Amino acid sequence: MQLRDFFSVDAIDLDLSTETKDETLKKLVGLFHLDEKSEGILFKMLKRRENLGSTGIGRGIAIPHCRSLVVNRLRVAFGRHEAGLDFKAIDEKPVHYIFLIVAPPLEVSNQYLPVLGKIAQFSKEADVPERLAAVENAEAFLQLLEEKGV
Amino acid sequence: MHEQLETLLEMQDLHMQRRALEEGGVRDLETGLFEMSAEQAIDALDAKITELELRLGKSIQERFRSLIGTHRRAVVPVLAGVCYGCFVAVPTSWAADADPNDRLNVCQSCGHFQYYPT
Ligand SMILES: [Zn+2]
Repeated sequence: MQLRDFFSVDAIDLDLSTETKDETLKKLVGLFHLDEKSEGILFKMLKRRENLGSTGIGRGIAIPHCRSLVVNRLRVAFGRHEAGLDFKAIDEKPVHYIFLIVAPPLEVSNQYLPVLGKIAQFSKEADVPERLAAVENAEAFLQLLEEKGV
Repeated sequence: MHEQLETLLEMQDLHMQRRALEEGGVRDLETGLFEMSAEQAIDALDAKITELELRLGKSIQERFRSLIGTHRRAVVPVLAGVCYGCFVAVPTSWAADADPNDRLNVCQSCGHFQYYPT
């Protein structure tokens, strides 16, 4: 299983210009092109997960995630925010890189946890924040995932 | 989308989150990587579930509780015309609705609430 296989170019936004965490979550959910109601439910679930504790794991990276019946397969999105957002992250630093992961409650292939784990593993690599800052386009982002062997 | 279906979906998602926090993989990740307090999170989820339950009619509330209790889920997806509660094809007239989620569909075969994912 390769992380890059789960990302599609149209679910990568390297120029987020949102003002808040909520706005950012909405924007990233929008990349999945669900209907309005489903987007609303997904946003609510993500928010609820954030209320239990921030998914900002430090070093400028956040991994909002949830399971919900409104998606019929595992979906991932990536967003980059140059100025940085207040995500109430563990290290209290602004978040610049957001990996969004959503999955249906029951997946035949059960990829949710492994994908979350791989993104966590990728995020822990020392040079990842600066490499993410430097990627110029979605294709370069995918290449970075590949290069890191996740 | 039918209002009570929306509530049922939310409640089911919360139940699922709660269960995941009681078991291995997700719990380890949430308490490890994300430094979450599982006990506090479970209490918060319980409070929200109780709050949402009040929005449901009595019979729907009872059906939800009984389904969650015995099958661990109350709302099942319908994918490619098949109910994922019992793997029986749903009547074609149901799936042909402009938006089948505007109604609260209960499977005639297994009794689960049905949801049509986009
Ligand atoms: Zn059924």
